[in-house]
Amino acid sequence: MGSSEKRSKDIMSDIPTFSAENLQNNLKVIQNSRTFLSIIAGVLAGIIGFNGLTGFVFYFVVMLITSVGLMAKAGFSADLYFDSWNRVLFDGFLGGLMSFVLFWTFAYDLVHIF
Amino acid sequence: MNLGFLVGFFGVLILSHAAYSTIQYRGLLKIMEEEFSRPPINVILELIIGLALCMWAALTFPGKFLSIHPDSDENRAVSLPDNSDFMIFNHRGRLFPPEIEMKF
Repeated sequence: MGSSEKRSKDIMSDIPTFSAENLQNNLKVIQNSRTFLSIIAGVLAGIIGFNGLTGFVFYFVVMLITSVGLMAKAGFSADLYFDSWNRVLFDGFLGGLMSFVLFWTFAYDLVHIF
Repeated sequence: MNLGFLVGFFGVLILSHAAYSTIQYRGLLKIMEEEFSRPPINVILELIIGLALCMWAALTFPGKFLSIHPDSDENRAVSLPDNSDFMIFNHRGRLFPPEIEMKF
């Protein structure tokens, strides 16, 4: 009796497990959202006609708004859907930068140069 | 999912209309030989509306967040694994007392 109680306690104080497949799904959702929004931000920056550093500042502003939006979507409780807050806030920041610059130059050429 | 797609589609439409208006505005400026500093106010308004629509679509269209807790109501522990045909249960482990409570 004593030994089986100890065994239950050992199993219960294990590393907290979570469903990895759901975590991957959530990460994919974040990735898709951020990529789509960096493309839209690039098109916007090209239409408005940002030059140089202002455009990158605009990109970071849009990404910050995206982070707030994602936190709101997760109901401000990241523990239910992710294993750490950093994933929600900082995951796809730099990955979208390339798409942003690509569509920024594309839209800028389309609207202002051609 | 469909509503998010429609909203995103309209957002992109509004953005392309704003781009077209800006191109026309630049043509007008070229005729009047003035400098381009920023798009006109109505174009900026259109861009803000388009951005808001696209942001809403980007947050709802890719899918919902799924809970990762193993004992929440939607993650039931009893789901047949793919190799259930190869699993046998008539081994010596059947003599152990059950330790973990599983929700069925």
